[in-house]
Amino acid sequence: MRGKCGLFFTSYAKESQILHTGFQKSSMALFFLVLLLAPFFLNSYQVSLLCMINIAVIGAVSLNLLTGSCGQISLGHGAFIGVGAYATGICTLSGWPFLPALLFGGATTALVGMIFGIPSLRLKGIYLAIATLAAQLILVYIFMRWTSLTGGATGMGLDPPMILGYSFDTDQKMFYLTLVFSILAVLMVKNILRTKSGRAFVAIRDFHLSAESVGINLFRYKLQAFGVSSFLAGIAGGLWAHYTMYITPEQFEIGLSIQYLAMIIIGGLGSVIGSVFGAVFLTLLPEVLGVLANIMSGFFPNISTYFLAMRDGIFGLILVLFLIFEPDGLARRWQLAKSYFKLHPFAH
Amino acid sequence: MKRLFQLISLVLAMFFFIGTAQAQIKIGILSDLSGGTADVGRPYAEGIKDCVKYINDQGGINGQKIEIMQIDYAYNVQQAISAYNRLKSWGMVALQGWGTADTEALVRQVARDEMPTYSASYSGHLTDPREAPYNFFIAADYSTQLRGALDFFYKAWDQDRAPRIAFVYPNHPYGLAPIPAGKEYALELGFEIVGEENVGLGDMDATTQLLRLSRQQPDYVWVGGTISSTAVILKDAQRLNMDATFVTNIWGSDEQLLSLAGPAVNGHIGLQTAVIYGADVPGMEIIKELTGGKPQMTHYIRGFASMYVMAEAIRIAIEQGELNGPGIRDASRTLRDFDPMGLTPPISFFPDDHRPNMSVKLYRLHQDGMELLTTETLERRAEWLGK
Repeated sequence: MRGKCGLFFTSYAKESQILHTGFQKSSMALFFLVLLLAPFFLNSYQVSLLCMINIAVIGAVSLNLLTGSCGQISLGHGAFIGVGAYATGICTLSGWPFLPALLFGGATTALVGMIFGIPSLRLKGIYLAIATLAAQLILVYIFMRWTSLTGGATGMGLDPPMILGYSFDTDQKMFYLTLVFSILAVLMVKNILRTKSGRAFVAIRDFHLSAESVGINLFRYKLQAFGVSSFLAGIAGGLWAHYTMYITPEQFEIGLSIQYLAMIIIGGLGSVIGSVFGAVFLTLLPEVLGVLANIMSGFFPNISTYFLAMRDGIFGLILVLFLIFEPDGLARRWQLAKSYFKLHPFAH
Repeated sequence: MKRLFQLISLVLAMFFFIGTAQAQIKIGILSDLSGGTADVGRPYAEGIKDCVKYINDQGGINGQKIEIMQIDYAYNVQQAISAYNRLKSWGMVALQGWGTADTEALVRQVARDEMPTYSASYSGHLTDPREAPYNFFIAADYSTQLRGALDFFYKAWDQDRAPRIAFVYPNHPYGLAPIPAGKEYALELGFEIVGEENVGLGDMDATTQLLRLSRQQPDYVWVGGTISSTAVILKDAQRLNMDATFVTNIWGSDEQLLSLAGPAVNGHIGLQTAVIYGADVPGMEIIKELTGGKPQMTHYIRGFASMYVMAEAIRIAIEQGELNGPGIRDASRTLRDFDPMGLTPPISFFPDDHRPNMSVKLYRLHQDGMELLTTETLERRAEWLGK
């Protein structure tokens, strides 16, 4: 591409490539190199944050496929993650190896997600949101009351993941495991969006009637979106369960669903890279605010207590500011920043 | 120039501070100061910090000062886990935890990292060392507290028929925890269980549930919620003229309840495992001094006692030359009837049994204050461990 003014595609295959230029490829390679080496330079706290980001990326990217790309609002994502966590946990507790258990957890969640996705044929927008909210409440109720299976209120203790006799029992090891899965999840969603299904999702989101009139089977594709999205949510849940090693119904309540929705709104609806940004941003935000409060408490002991109490408010404020000033999320900011440097010093 | 000098001396002072901080005992405090349980989490955390201040003022533990790092996790599991990892990287040797959400999510991690954890989540299953080898707490577990209350009521019962009991609790892990144990023991003693209702932690009305209950005419009603739901239940019960005695659990009755529910609390019973502010025990003098005579909630006193017991375990561990996770755990397990200055009933931990004691304090609630009725102590039955 070098020497040309801009990018020219001579085939559709080339246009739908993920990385177009040599510069993009090499910076991506550099990014992954840094990421792979990072655990050697960071302490276990920082690595644990990276683990949580990896898991959040899987959850966010899957919700973004359903809500951002296919337009089906889901308030039940936290509970779907819980289904994956419990299903995987129950399998490993009964002696299954980790990887089959994780896949089974994903498949179970996909099934559950599709069942709760059935109303999506009739319900749209806010009505679907309420239907998925019902899914959230019902599932958490089941986690809490089906004591023989889930351990009920007491919860369920699990061991670190074990693959072919190798135990992922530290944050460092967990980081590489979760990284592999989050890369796979991102690639999976990115690829789905480049296929017929992906285009069908977007068509449904933009206007269901025109989608149907060009021959898209609404019910099939909506269920497919619920299925794929829930499958990935289940994978995120299975990883989370074996990362924390203890799951209780409290971990998968409505707050988690809201957090994932916030991630994709802040990151950018319908954008894969936006999901990643959102996951990183929302995982780090409470940490950054906590550190700020700590620093401030050194100077103003009394102010920091108010600051702590304001944390939820600040979180809400950031969300509102994003909705007003950058409804397309961090992904759009990223585009703007990239084009600024690409065009510099010319404005056009 | 003067400013520059000030700046340099400040930096030097900071380095000096870091330099002298080496030989300290690092204890992490995981608190909820801004989340759903902050109203009780704040006084509890204050109690812990004041106890550290007291111990350091006394010269520390065997000459070593305690250094604390407190992180607010807003009762959010993800934040609790990252906060725990941050405290771990900072180098803590023991953790003062807080509620059900964080303690349970961290059970396996603290066991893996051999991190002794004293928390305020009194779930029965945390007392079984086979499940939670590094978890301790200084109050009888929720189930034992409920059993103790049942025992007291049954002994005081003087009518010919069996006493009737009903259970009201939120559909929430914390509320559900003691219910199976309570029902089992109630039947064993000879109670008649006449009702069971759910009132959520955030509910503003409990009339429908209480109307159903009042038709069953219970003599006693167990209320397993937190302050706000308990206040709602007691007020509605007063409105419906129920003459049952309501008994509220440890997080459902404190000084806030008295002001929230007012006259509706009169005559009912609240369970606690620590003394209340102003009680005539040796530790109260110290607390009065630390707080300048400003009354504190009973949660503050439990936080203080939790840190005090942990400090004793650390002292034993230092004497054994084992200031590390397993050392502090083993030292905790050597405690026998250790008295935290009268603030709570005596504490013992055993290698195969982490129940601190089998005692619960019953307070008669009145809008002007709480009055200690009795301290009920049960036998340490092996089959109750972890249940």
